[in-house]
Amino acid sequence: MYWLSTKRAKAFMLLPTLLIYSIFIIIPVFIAVYYSFTEYTGLGKAKFTGISNYIRMFGDKLFLIALRNTLLVLVLGTVFLLVGSFLVAHIMNVNFTGNAFFKMIIFAPYVIAPIIIGIIWGYILNPNYGMLNSFLRSVGLDGLAIEWIGGTKWSPLSLALVFTWQMLGFHATIFLSGIKAIPGEMYEACAIDGANGFQKVLFVTIPMLKETIIINTVLIITGVFKIYELVYQMTGGGPAHQSELLTSYMYFTVFTSRRYGYGMSIAVVILTLSIIGSFAYIRIVARKKQEGGA
Amino acid sequence: METAVRKKFSIKKVLFYLLIAAILVISMLPILWAVLLSFKTNNEIVNAPLALPDLWSFGNYQRAVDTIDFGRMYFNTIFIVVIATFFSVAITFMSSFAIARMTFKRKNTADYLYFYLLMGIAIPVYVLLFPIYRIDSLLGILGTRLGLILPYIAVNISFNTLLFVGFLRGIPEELEEAAVIDGCRLVGLCTRVVIPVMKPTFVTIVIFNAVYIYNEFPFASTFIQNDRLNTVSLMTSMFKGQYSMDYSGIIAASLMIMLPELVFYVFLQKYIIGGMTAGAVKG
Repeated sequence: MYWLSTKRAKAFMLLPTLLIYSIFIIIPVFIAVYYSFTEYTGLGKAKFTGISNYIRMFGDKLFLIALRNTLLVLVLGTVFLLVGSFLVAHIMNVNFTGNAFFKMIIFAPYVIAPIIIGIIWGYILNPNYGMLNSFLRSVGLDGLAIEWIGGTKWSPLSLALVFTWQMLGFHATIFLSGIKAIPGEMYEACAIDGANGFQKVLFVTIPMLKETIIINTVLIITGVFKIYELVYQMTGGGPAHQSELLTSYMYFTVFTSRRYGYGMSIAVVILTLSIIGSFAYIRIVARKKQEGGA
Repeated sequence: METAVRKKFSIKKVLFYLLIAAILVISMLPILWAVLLSFKTNNEIVNAPLALPDLWSFGNYQRAVDTIDFGRMYFNTIFIVVIATFFSVAITFMSSFAIARMTFKRKNTADYLYFYLLMGIAIPVYVLLFPIYRIDSLLGILGTRLGLILPYIAVNISFNTLLFVGFLRGIPEELEEAAVIDGCRLVGLCTRVVIPVMKPTFVTIVIFNAVYIYNEFPFASTFIQNDRLNTVSLMTSMFKGQYSMDYSGIIAASLMIMLPELVFYVFLQKYIIGGMTAGAVKG
Protein backbone atom coordinates (compact mmCIF):
# COMPACT_ATOMS: atom_id res chain seq x y z
CA MET A 1 0.00 0.00 0.00
CA TYR A 2 2.98 2.28 -0.41
CA TRP A 3 1.16 4.37 -3.03
CA LEU A 4 -1.09 5.81 -0.36
CA SER A 5 1.48 5.99 2.41
CA THR A 6 2.31 9.65 2.20
CA LYS A 7 3.37 11.41 5.37
CA ARG A 8 0.19 13.44 5.41
CA ALA A 9 -2.05 10.40 4.96
CA LYS A 10 -0.31 8.52 7.76
CA ALA A 11 -0.60 11.47 10.13
CA PHE A 12 -4.28 11.88 9.26
CA MET A 13 -4.97 8.21 10.00
CA LEU A 14 -2.85 7.83 13.13
CA LEU A 15 -2.90 11.13 14.99
CA PRO A 16 -6.43 11.14 16.49
CA THR A 17 -5.94 7.74 18.09
CA LEU A 18 -2.40 8.39 19.28
CA LEU A 19 -3.35 11.75 20.74
CA ILE A 20 -6.40 10.62 22.73
CA TYR A 21 -4.77 7.34 23.78
CA SER A 22 -1.60 9.06 24.98
CA ILE A 23 -3.39 11.81 26.88
CA PHE A 24 -5.98 9.64 28.61
CA ILE A 25 -4.24 6.26 29.03
CA ILE A 26 -0.44 6.52 28.90
CA ILE A 27 0.24 9.93 30.48
CA PRO A 28 -2.13 9.10 33.40
CA VAL A 29 0.01 6.07 34.19
CA PHE A 30 3.02 8.33 34.59
CA ILE A 31 0.96 10.75 36.69
CA ALA A 32 -0.05 7.85 38.95
CA VAL A 33 3.58 6.75 39.30
CA TYR A 34 4.64 10.34 40.05
CA TYR A 35 2.05 10.84 42.79
CA SER A 36 2.88 7.44 44.30
CA PHE A 37 6.21 8.95 45.41
CA THR A 38 4.54 11.93 47.09
CA GLU A 39 2.24 12.93 49.87
CA TYR A 40 -0.69 14.95 48.59
CA THR A 41 -3.96 15.92 50.26
CA GLY A 42 -5.42 17.90 47.38
CA LEU A 43 -4.35 21.24 48.82
CA GLY A 44 -1.16 23.07 47.90
CA LYS A 45 1.67 21.15 46.32
CA ALA A 46 2.45 17.46 46.44
CA LYS A 47 5.38 16.73 48.76
CA PHE A 48 8.01 14.32 47.47
CA THR A 49 8.53 11.49 49.97
CA GLY A 50 10.44 8.86 47.99
CA ILE A 51 9.35 5.27 48.45
CA SER A 52 7.80 5.82 51.89
CA ASN A 53 4.29 5.08 50.55
CA TYR A 54 5.44 1.68 49.36
CA ILE A 55 7.07 0.94 52.70
CA ARG A 56 3.95 2.03 54.57
CA MET A 57 1.88 -0.55 52.63
CA PHE A 58 3.54 -3.50 54.32
CA GLY A 59 2.53 -2.19 57.73
CA ASP A 60 -1.01 -1.30 56.62
CA LYS A 61 -3.31 -4.08 57.80
CA LEU A 62 -6.18 -2.92 55.61
CA PHE A 63 -3.97 -3.00 52.53
CA LEU A 64 -2.80 -6.52 53.35
CA ILE A 65 -6.42 -7.65 53.85
CA ALA A 66 -7.39 -6.12 50.49
CA LEU A 67 -4.41 -7.84 48.86
CA ARG A 68 -5.33 -11.19 50.40
CA ASN A 69 -8.97 -10.81 49.34
CA THR A 70 -7.93 -9.89 45.79
CA LEU A 71 -5.66 -12.93 45.51
CA LEU A 72 -8.46 -15.15 46.91
CA VAL A 73 -10.97 -13.84 44.36
CA LEU A 74 -8.29 -14.24 41.68
CA VAL A 75 -7.64 -17.91 42.48
CA LEU A 76 -11.28 -18.89 43.13
CA GLY A 77 -12.59 -16.91 40.17
CA THR A 78 -10.00 -18.38 37.80
CA VAL A 79 -10.75 -21.96 38.87
CA PHE A 80 -14.56 -21.54 38.81
CA LEU A 81 -14.55 -19.71 35.50
CA LEU A 82 -12.07 -21.89 33.62
CA VAL A 83 -13.78 -25.14 34.63
CA GLY A 84 -17.31 -23.74 34.29
CA SER A 85 -16.84 -22.05 30.94
CA PHE A 86 -14.97 -25.04 29.50
CA LEU A 87 -17.92 -27.26 30.39
CA VAL A 88 -20.51 -24.78 29.12
CA ALA A 89 -18.59 -24.31 25.85
CA HIS A 90 -18.83 -28.05 25.20
CA ILE A 91 -22.57 -27.91 25.74
CA MET A 92 -22.79 -24.93 23.37
CA ASN A 93 -20.93 -26.98 20.77
CA VAL A 94 -23.55 -29.77 20.81
CA ASN A 95 -26.32 -29.52 18.27
CA PHE A 96 -29.54 -29.63 20.31
CA THR A 97 -32.96 -28.01 20.21
CA GLY A 98 -32.75 -24.67 21.97
CA ASN A 99 -29.00 -24.27 21.48
CA ALA A 100 -29.37 -20.63 20.39
CA PHE A 101 -31.62 -19.87 23.36
CA PHE A 102 -29.10 -21.52 25.70
CA LYS A 103 -26.28 -19.37 24.33
CA MET A 104 -28.39 -16.24 24.62
CA ILE A 105 -29.31 -16.82 28.27
CA ILE A 106 -25.80 -17.83 29.36
CA PHE A 107 -24.26 -14.73 27.80
CA ALA A 108 -26.93 -12.29 29.06
CA PRO A 109 -25.40 -11.44 32.49
CA TYR A 110 -22.34 -10.05 30.69
CA VAL A 111 -24.34 -7.12 29.29
CA ILE A 112 -26.04 -6.20 32.58
CA ALA A 113 -24.41 -3.26 34.38
CA PRO A 114 -22.16 -4.57 37.18
CA ILE A 115 -23.72 -2.06 39.53
CA ILE A 116 -27.14 -3.66 39.04
CA ILE A 117 -25.68 -7.16 39.33
CA GLY A 118 -24.24 -6.11 42.68
CA ILE A 119 -27.62 -4.84 43.87
CA ILE A 120 -29.54 -7.96 42.79
CA TRP A 121 -27.01 -10.40 44.25
CA GLY A 122 -27.02 -8.38 47.46
CA TYR A 123 -30.66 -9.44 47.88
CA ILE A 124 -29.79 -13.06 47.20
CA LEU A 125 -26.74 -13.33 49.46
CA ASN A 126 -27.94 -11.15 52.35
CA PRO A 127 -27.42 -13.40 55.39
CA ASN A 128 -30.71 -12.43 57.06
CA TYR A 129 -33.40 -12.06 54.42
CA GLY A 130 -31.53 -13.15 51.27
CA MET A 131 -32.92 -15.86 49.01
CA LEU A 132 -30.04 -18.29 49.46
CA ASN A 133 -30.05 -18.46 53.25
CA SER A 134 -33.86 -18.37 53.47
CA PHE A 135 -33.94 -21.35 51.15
CA LEU A 136 -31.20 -23.22 53.01
CA ARG A 137 -32.99 -22.69 56.33
CA SER A 138 -36.34 -23.76 54.93
CA VAL A 139 -34.88 -27.11 53.84
CA GLY A 140 -33.12 -27.60 57.17
CA LEU A 141 -29.57 -26.84 56.02
CA ASP A 142 -29.06 -24.11 58.61
CA GLY A 143 -25.39 -25.02 58.88
CA LEU A 144 -24.82 -23.88 55.29
CA ALA A 145 -26.58 -20.56 55.86
CA ILE A 146 -23.31 -18.69 56.36
CA GLU A 147 -22.61 -14.97 56.24
CA TRP A 148 -22.09 -14.86 52.47
CA ILE A 149 -21.67 -11.10 52.61
CA GLY A 150 -21.42 -8.66 55.48
CA GLY A 151 -19.23 -10.95 57.58
CA THR A 152 -15.48 -11.05 57.82
CA LYS A 153 -14.84 -14.42 56.23
CA TRP A 154 -16.85 -15.40 53.19
CA SER A 155 -17.10 -12.24 51.10
CA PRO A 156 -14.23 -13.16 48.73
CA LEU A 157 -15.96 -16.46 47.94
CA SER A 158 -19.23 -14.64 47.25
CA LEU A 159 -17.47 -12.11 45.04
CA ALA A 160 -15.82 -14.92 43.08
CA LEU A 161 -19.17 -16.69 42.66
CA VAL A 162 -20.99 -13.58 41.42
CA PHE A 163 -18.06 -12.72 39.13
CA THR A 164 -18.27 -16.26 37.72
CA TRP A 165 -22.02 -15.91 37.17
CA GLN A 166 -21.46 -12.63 35.34
CA MET A 167 -18.59 -13.74 33.09
CA LEU A 168 -19.43 -17.42 32.42
CA GLY A 169 -21.05 -16.86 29.02
CA PHE A 170 -18.30 -14.53 27.84
CA HIS A 171 -15.47 -16.96 28.55
CA ALA A 172 -17.50 -19.96 27.36
CA THR A 173 -18.02 -18.19 24.03
CA ILE A 174 -14.27 -17.64 23.68
CA PHE A 175 -13.72 -21.35 24.43
CA LEU A 176 -16.39 -22.23 21.87
CA SER A 177 -14.55 -20.33 19.15
CA GLY A 178 -11.41 -22.28 20.07
CA ILE A 179 -13.22 -25.62 20.03
CA LYS A 180 -14.77 -24.88 16.64
CA ALA A 181 -11.29 -24.25 15.22
CA ILE A 182 -10.08 -27.78 16.09
CA PRO A 183 -10.11 -29.88 12.89
CA GLY A 184 -12.60 -32.77 12.99
CA GLU A 185 -9.95 -35.19 11.67
CA MET A 186 -8.14 -34.97 14.99
CA TYR A 187 -11.12 -36.55 16.73
CA GLU A 188 -11.62 -39.11 13.99
CA ALA A 189 -8.02 -40.25 14.28
CA CYS A 190 -8.50 -40.42 18.02
CA ALA A 191 -11.66 -42.51 17.64
CA ILE A 192 -9.89 -44.95 15.33
CA ASP A 193 -7.29 -45.43 18.05
CA GLY A 194 -10.15 -46.36 20.36
CA ALA A 195 -10.26 -43.31 22.60
CA ASN A 196 -13.39 -42.60 24.64
CA GLY A 197 -14.98 -39.18 25.09
CA PHE A 198 -12.99 -38.31 28.18
CA GLN A 199 -9.69 -39.26 26.51
CA LYS A 200 -10.61 -37.14 23.50
CA VAL A 201 -11.02 -34.11 25.76
CA LEU A 202 -7.79 -34.87 27.61
CA PHE A 203 -5.56 -35.65 24.63
CA VAL A 204 -7.04 -33.55 21.84
CA THR A 205 -9.22 -30.72 23.12
CA ILE A 206 -7.09 -29.45 25.99
CA PRO A 207 -3.73 -29.50 24.12
CA MET A 208 -5.33 -27.92 21.05
CA LEU A 209 -6.92 -25.21 23.20
CA LYS A 210 -3.70 -24.27 24.96
CA GLU A 211 -3.71 -20.78 23.51
CA THR A 212 -7.41 -20.22 24.17
CA ILE A 213 -6.91 -21.36 27.76
CA ILE A 214 -4.10 -18.85 28.21
CA ILE A 215 -6.16 -16.06 26.66
CA ASN A 216 -9.12 -16.85 28.88
CA THR A 217 -6.90 -17.00 31.96
CA VAL A 218 -5.38 -13.63 31.20
CA LEU A 219 -8.78 -12.06 30.54
CA ILE A 220 -10.00 -13.46 33.86
CA ILE A 221 -6.96 -12.10 35.70
CA THR A 222 -7.33 -8.61 34.23
CA GLY A 223 -11.08 -8.93 34.83
CA VAL A 224 -10.58 -9.51 38.55
CA PHE A 225 -8.64 -6.24 38.74
CA LYS A 226 -11.72 -4.52 37.30
CA ILE A 227 -14.12 -5.73 40.00
CA TYR A 228 -15.29 -2.71 41.92
CA GLU A 229 -19.04 -2.24 41.61
CA LEU A 230 -19.74 -5.68 43.09
CA VAL A 231 -17.81 -4.83 46.26
CA TYR A 232 -19.33 -1.36 46.37
CA GLN A 233 -22.90 -2.67 46.19
CA MET A 234 -22.69 -6.01 47.98
CA THR A 235 -20.58 -5.17 51.03
CA GLY A 236 -19.38 -1.59 50.69
CA GLY A 237 -15.99 -3.04 51.62
CA GLY A 238 -17.25 -3.66 55.14
CA PRO A 239 -17.50 -4.51 57.90
CA ALA A 240 -14.59 -2.24 58.82
CA HIS A 241 -12.87 -2.73 55.40
CA GLN A 242 -12.63 -6.50 55.92
CA SER A 243 -14.06 -7.35 52.47
CA GLU A 244 -12.21 -4.67 50.50
CA LEU A 245 -10.41 -5.57 47.23
CA LEU A 246 -7.35 -3.63 46.08
CA THR A 247 -9.46 -1.58 43.65
CA SER A 248 -12.09 -0.63 46.21
CA TYR A 249 -9.50 0.06 48.89
CA MET A 250 -7.61 2.31 46.49
CA TYR A 251 -10.85 4.12 45.63
CA PHE A 252 -11.50 4.62 49.35
CA THR A 253 -7.96 5.88 50.01
CA VAL A 254 -8.08 8.36 47.14
CA PHE A 255 -11.60 9.67 47.04
CA THR A 256 -12.86 9.21 50.60
CA SER A 257 -9.85 9.73 52.83
CA ARG A 258 -8.10 11.93 50.24
CA ARG A 259 -4.65 10.43 50.66
CA TYR A 260 -3.83 10.81 46.98
CA GLY A 261 -0.15 9.86 47.19
CA TYR A 262 -0.74 6.66 49.13
CA GLY A 263 -3.73 5.79 46.95
CA MET A 264 -1.60 6.11 43.82
CA SER A 265 1.02 3.78 45.25
CA ILE A 266 -1.74 1.17 45.66
CA ALA A 267 -2.77 1.93 42.08
CA VAL A 268 0.78 1.22 40.92
CA VAL A 269 0.69 -2.14 42.73
CA ILE A 270 -2.59 -3.00 40.96
CA LEU A 271 -1.05 -1.97 37.65
CA THR A 272 2.06 -4.08 38.23
CA LEU A 273 0.04 -7.19 39.13
CA SER A 274 -2.19 -6.71 36.10
CA ILE A 275 0.77 -6.23 33.74
CA ILE A 276 2.44 -9.39 35.01
CA GLY A 277 -0.82 -11.23 34.40
CA SER A 278 -1.28 -9.84 30.90
CA PHE A 279 2.26 -10.35 29.74
CA ALA A 280 1.62 -13.83 28.38
CA TYR A 281 -1.34 -12.56 26.36
CA ILE A 282 0.57 -9.78 24.64
CA ARG A 283 3.35 -12.24 23.86
CA ILE A 284 0.93 -14.64 22.20
CA VAL A 285 -0.53 -11.87 20.07
CA ALA A 286 2.96 -10.69 19.13
CA ARG A 287 4.12 -14.21 18.26
CA LYS A 288 1.04 -14.90 16.16
CA LYS A 289 1.83 -11.79 14.20
CA GLN A 290 5.40 -12.94 13.55
CA GLU A 291 4.10 -16.23 12.25
CA GLY A 292 2.12 -14.17 9.76
CA GLY A 293 -1.29 -15.38 10.90
CA ALA A 294 -4.20 -13.14 11.79
CA MET B 1 -27.83 -53.37 18.08
CA GLU B 2 -29.52 -50.38 16.56
CA THR B 3 -32.14 -50.09 19.33
CA ALA B 4 -29.57 -50.64 22.07
CA VAL B 5 -27.54 -47.75 20.78
CA ARG B 6 -30.58 -45.54 20.57
CA LYS B 7 -31.69 -46.44 24.11
CA LYS B 8 -28.34 -45.61 25.64
CA PHE B 9 -28.37 -42.42 23.67
CA SER B 10 -31.75 -41.38 25.05
CA ILE B 11 -30.70 -41.83 28.70
CA LYS B 12 -27.69 -39.70 27.93
CA LYS B 13 -30.05 -37.23 26.32
CA VAL B 14 -32.19 -36.93 29.44
CA LEU B 15 -29.13 -36.32 31.63
CA PHE B 16 -27.84 -33.82 29.09
CA TYR B 17 -31.08 -31.85 29.11
CA LEU B 18 -31.16 -31.92 32.93
CA LEU B 19 -27.69 -30.40 32.97
CA ILE B 20 -28.77 -27.73 30.51
CA ALA B 21 -31.85 -26.98 32.61
CA ALA B 22 -29.72 -26.64 35.75
CA ILE B 23 -27.33 -24.20 34.07
CA LEU B 24 -30.21 -22.18 32.65
CA VAL B 25 -31.85 -21.95 36.09
CA ILE B 26 -28.62 -20.69 37.67
CA SER B 27 -28.25 -18.10 34.91
CA MET B 28 -31.79 -16.79 35.05
CA LEU B 29 -32.76 -17.20 38.70
CA PRO B 30 -31.22 -13.96 40.02
CA ILE B 31 -33.12 -11.88 37.45
CA LEU B 32 -36.39 -13.73 37.96
CA TRP B 33 -35.93 -13.39 41.70
CA ALA B 34 -35.46 -9.65 41.30
CA VAL B 35 -38.68 -9.48 39.28
CA LEU B 36 -40.52 -11.26 42.09
CA LEU B 37 -39.06 -8.96 44.75
CA SER B 38 -40.10 -5.91 42.77
CA PHE B 39 -43.77 -6.78 43.41
CA LYS B 40 -43.36 -7.32 47.15
CA THR B 41 -43.50 -4.72 49.92
CA ASN B 42 -40.44 -3.92 52.02
CA ASN B 43 -42.07 -5.68 54.95
CA GLU B 44 -42.61 -8.84 52.90
CA ILE B 45 -39.02 -8.83 51.61
CA VAL B 46 -37.58 -8.76 55.13
CA ASN B 47 -40.11 -10.90 57.00
CA ALA B 48 -41.27 -13.45 54.42
CA PRO B 49 -38.31 -13.76 52.04
CA LEU B 50 -39.50 -16.84 50.17
CA ALA B 51 -43.23 -16.03 50.01
CA LEU B 52 -45.09 -14.68 47.01
CA PRO B 53 -46.43 -11.14 47.42
CA ASP B 54 -49.89 -10.87 49.02
CA LEU B 55 -50.85 -8.31 46.48
CA TRP B 56 -49.25 -8.03 43.03
CA SER B 57 -49.00 -4.28 42.61
CA PHE B 58 -46.94 -1.91 40.52
CA GLY B 59 -46.53 0.45 43.47
CA ASN B 60 -42.77 0.00 43.61
CA TYR B 61 -42.43 0.83 39.92
CA GLN B 62 -44.68 3.85 40.40
CA ARG B 63 -42.38 5.10 43.17
CA ALA B 64 -39.31 4.62 40.98
CA VAL B 65 -40.90 6.54 38.10
CA ASP B 66 -41.90 9.36 40.48
CA THR B 67 -38.37 9.79 41.84
CA ILE B 68 -36.13 9.14 38.83
CA ASP B 69 -36.13 11.40 35.79
CA PHE B 70 -35.91 8.50 33.33
CA GLY B 71 -36.07 10.70 30.24
CA ARG B 72 -33.10 12.83 31.20
CA MET B 73 -31.14 9.84 32.43
CA TYR B 74 -31.58 7.92 29.18
CA PHE B 75 -30.85 11.00 27.10
CA ASN B 76 -27.58 11.62 29.02
CA THR B 77 -26.48 8.02 28.73
CA ILE B 78 -27.41 7.43 25.11
CA PHE B 79 -25.91 10.75 24.02
CA ILE B 80 -22.57 9.79 25.57
CA VAL B 81 -22.75 6.20 24.30
CA VAL B 82 -23.43 7.27 20.70
CA ILE B 83 -20.77 9.99 20.49
CA ALA B 84 -18.04 8.06 22.31
CA THR B 85 -18.68 4.80 20.46
CA PHE B 86 -18.74 6.54 17.08
CA PHE B 87 -15.44 8.33 17.57
CA SER B 88 -13.75 5.40 19.27
CA VAL B 89 -14.62 3.05 16.41
CA ALA B 90 -13.88 5.60 13.68
CA ILE B 91 -10.45 6.70 14.87
CA THR B 92 -9.31 3.20 15.82
CA PHE B 93 -10.34 1.92 12.42
CA MET B 94 -8.22 4.64 10.82
CA SER B 95 -5.16 3.94 12.96
CA SER B 96 -5.57 0.17 12.56
CA PHE B 97 -5.73 0.57 8.79
CA ALA B 98 -2.49 2.54 8.91
CA ILE B 99 -0.82 -0.10 11.09
CA ALA B 100 -1.99 -3.05 9.02
CA ARG B 101 -1.62 -1.59 5.51
CA MET B 102 0.58 1.47 5.24
CA THR B 103 4.34 1.38 4.78
CA PHE B 104 6.74 3.19 7.07
CA LYS B 105 10.34 4.23 6.55
CA ARG B 106 11.49 1.98 9.38
CA LYS B 107 10.15 -1.52 9.07
CA ASN B 108 9.33 -1.94 12.75
CA THR B 109 7.34 1.27 13.17
CA ALA B 110 3.98 -0.43 12.56
CA ASP B 111 4.80 -3.15 15.10
CA TYR B 112 5.83 -0.62 17.73
CA LEU B 113 2.64 1.36 17.19
CA TYR B 114 0.58 -1.82 17.46
CA PHE B 115 2.30 -2.82 20.69
CA TYR B 116 1.96 0.69 22.11
CA LEU B 117 -1.78 0.71 21.46
CA LEU B 118 -2.23 -2.79 22.91
CA MET B 119 -0.60 -1.91 26.23
CA GLY B 120 -3.88 -0.46 27.43
CA ILE B 121 -5.29 -3.99 27.80
CA ALA B 122 -3.08 -4.47 30.84
CA ILE B 123 -3.97 -1.12 32.46
CA PRO B 124 -6.93 -1.33 34.87
CA VAL B 125 -9.13 1.76 34.58
CA TYR B 126 -9.03 2.32 38.34
CA VAL B 127 -5.37 3.28 38.08
CA LEU B 128 -6.43 6.08 35.71
CA LEU B 129 -9.26 7.56 37.79
CA PHE B 130 -7.34 10.16 39.76
CA PRO B 131 -4.85 11.05 36.99
CA ILE B 132 -7.67 11.61 34.47
CA TYR B 133 -9.46 13.67 37.11
CA ARG B 134 -6.37 15.90 37.18
CA ILE B 135 -6.09 16.03 33.39
CA ASP B 136 -9.78 16.88 33.01
CA SER B 137 -9.48 19.74 35.45
CA LEU B 138 -6.30 20.94 33.75
CA LEU B 139 -8.11 20.97 30.40
CA GLY B 140 -11.10 22.69 32.00
CA ILE B 141 -13.52 19.90 31.06
CA LEU B 142 -14.01 18.31 34.49
CA GLY B 143 -17.68 17.68 35.15
CA THR B 144 -18.72 18.20 31.53
CA ARG B 145 -19.92 15.57 29.07
CA LEU B 146 -16.72 16.02 27.08
CA GLY B 147 -14.70 15.21 30.20
CA LEU B 148 -16.38 11.81 30.25
CA ILE B 149 -16.59 11.18 26.50
CA LEU B 150 -12.85 11.60 25.83
CA PRO B 151 -11.75 9.00 28.44
CA TYR B 152 -14.48 6.64 27.14
CA ILE B 153 -13.07 6.95 23.62
CA ALA B 154 -9.59 6.27 24.99
CA VAL B 155 -10.37 3.16 27.08
CA ASN B 156 -11.82 1.30 24.08
CA ILE B 157 -8.84 1.94 21.78
CA SER B 158 -6.75 -1.07 22.82
CA PHE B 159 -9.57 -3.59 22.47
CA ASN B 160 -10.66 -2.14 19.12
CA THR B 161 -7.09 -2.09 17.80
CA LEU B 162 -6.69 -5.76 18.68
CA LEU B 163 -9.80 -6.69 16.72
CA PHE B 164 -9.37 -4.33 13.75
CA VAL B 165 -5.68 -5.06 13.10
CA GLY B 166 -6.26 -8.79 13.63
CA PHE B 167 -9.03 -8.75 11.05
CA LEU B 168 -7.25 -6.51 8.54
CA ARG B 169 -4.18 -8.71 8.58
CA GLY B 170 -6.39 -11.71 7.89
CA ILE B 171 -7.91 -10.41 4.65
CA PRO B 172 -5.96 -10.28 1.39
CA GLU B 173 -4.76 -6.94 0.06
CA GLU B 174 -5.37 -7.69 -3.62
CA LEU B 175 -8.86 -6.18 -3.68
CA GLU B 176 -7.57 -2.94 -2.22
CA GLU B 177 -4.60 -2.87 -4.59
CA ALA B 178 -6.92 -3.29 -7.54
CA ALA B 179 -9.09 -0.43 -6.27
CA VAL B 180 -6.04 1.81 -5.89
CA ILE B 181 -4.91 1.02 -9.41
CA ASP B 182 -8.40 1.95 -10.58
CA GLY B 183 -7.77 5.38 -9.09
CA CYS B 184 -9.42 5.00 -5.68
CA ARG B 185 -8.16 7.52 -3.09
CA LEU B 186 -7.60 6.80 0.60
CA VAL B 187 -11.00 7.84 1.94
CA GLY B 188 -12.86 6.18 -0.91
CA LEU B 189 -10.82 3.03 -0.48
CA CYS B 190 -11.76 2.79 3.18
CA THR B 191 -15.43 3.66 2.88
CA ARG B 192 -16.22 1.83 -0.37
CA VAL B 193 -13.89 -1.18 -0.37
CA VAL B 194 -12.59 -2.02 3.10
CA ILE B 195 -15.47 -1.15 5.44
CA PRO B 196 -18.13 -3.13 3.52
CA VAL B 197 -15.98 -6.28 3.84
CA MET B 198 -15.57 -5.68 7.57
CA LYS B 199 -19.20 -5.05 8.44
CA PRO B 200 -19.54 -7.96 10.91
CA THR B 201 -16.36 -6.90 12.73
CA PHE B 202 -17.71 -3.36 12.98
CA VAL B 203 -21.02 -4.55 14.41
CA THR B 204 -19.27 -6.66 17.06
CA ILE B 205 -16.95 -3.82 18.07
CA VAL B 206 -19.75 -1.23 18.18
CA ILE B 207 -21.85 -3.45 20.45
CA PHE B 208 -18.96 -4.18 22.82
CA ASN B 209 -18.02 -0.49 23.05
CA ALA B 210 -21.62 0.62 23.55
CA VAL B 211 -22.33 -1.98 26.26
CA TYR B 212 -19.16 -1.02 28.10
CA ILE B 213 -19.94 2.70 28.07
CA TYR B 214 -23.62 2.22 28.91
CA ASN B 215 -22.72 0.22 32.03
CA GLU B 216 -19.62 2.13 33.04
CA PHE B 217 -19.67 3.36 36.62
CA PRO B 218 -16.28 4.40 38.12
CA PHE B 219 -15.48 7.10 35.54
CA ALA B 220 -19.02 8.47 35.58
CA SER B 221 -19.16 8.60 39.37
CA THR B 222 -15.81 10.37 39.58
CA PHE B 223 -16.00 12.87 36.72
CA ILE B 224 -19.69 13.84 36.81
CA GLN B 225 -20.65 16.08 39.70
CA ASN B 226 -23.83 17.60 38.38
CA ASP B 227 -27.05 15.61 38.91
CA ARG B 228 -28.41 16.94 35.63
CA LEU B 229 -25.78 14.91 33.73
CA ASN B 230 -26.40 11.62 35.57
CA THR B 231 -26.04 8.46 33.54
CA VAL B 232 -27.87 5.18 34.02
CA SER B 233 -25.42 3.47 36.36
CA LEU B 234 -24.87 6.66 38.37
CA MET B 235 -28.61 7.02 38.83
CA THR B 236 -28.97 3.45 40.03
CA SER B 237 -26.27 3.93 42.61
CA MET B 238 -27.64 7.29 43.78
CA PHE B 239 -31.15 5.94 44.10
CA LYS B 240 -29.83 3.15 46.27
CA GLY B 241 -27.82 5.58 48.37
CA GLN B 242 -30.76 7.92 48.97
CA TYR B 243 -33.46 5.35 49.62
CA SER B 244 -31.33 2.62 51.14
CA MET B 245 -34.22 1.29 53.24
CA ASP B 246 -36.64 1.10 50.32
CA TYR B 247 -35.61 -2.40 49.20
CA SER B 248 -38.48 -2.99 46.81
CA GLY B 249 -38.13 0.47 45.28
CA ILE B 250 -34.43 -0.13 44.60
CA ILE B 251 -35.16 -3.44 42.92
CA ALA B 252 -37.95 -1.97 40.78
CA ALA B 253 -35.71 0.94 39.72
CA SER B 254 -32.83 -1.41 38.88
CA LEU B 255 -35.08 -3.59 36.75
CA MET B 256 -36.49 -0.61 34.87
CA ILE B 257 -32.96 0.61 34.17
CA MET B 258 -31.86 -2.84 33.02
CA LEU B 259 -34.87 -3.60 30.85
CA PRO B 260 -34.07 -1.54 27.72
CA GLU B 261 -30.60 -3.01 27.63
CA LEU B 262 -31.88 -6.58 27.80
CA VAL B 263 -34.36 -5.87 24.99
CA PHE B 264 -31.52 -4.57 22.81
CA TYR B 265 -29.47 -7.58 23.78
CA VAL B 266 -32.11 -10.06 22.67
CA PHE B 267 -32.13 -8.49 19.21
CA LEU B 268 -28.38 -8.03 18.87
CA GLN B 269 -27.00 -11.08 20.70
CA LYS B 270 -26.44 -13.06 17.53
CA TYR B 271 -23.92 -10.44 16.42
CA ILE B 272 -22.11 -10.54 19.76
CA ILE B 273 -21.91 -14.31 20.04
CA GLY B 274 -21.47 -14.76 16.29
CA GLY B 275 -18.70 -12.15 16.19
CA MET B 276 -16.91 -13.75 19.10
CA THR B 277 -17.12 -17.28 17.75
CA ALA B 278 -15.77 -16.02 14.44
CA GLY B 279 -12.61 -15.38 16.42
CA ALA B 280 -13.03 -11.66 16.86
CA VAL B 281 -12.16 -11.42 20.54
CA LYS B 282 -9.63 -14.20 20.55
CA GLY B 283 -7.46 -11.87 18.46
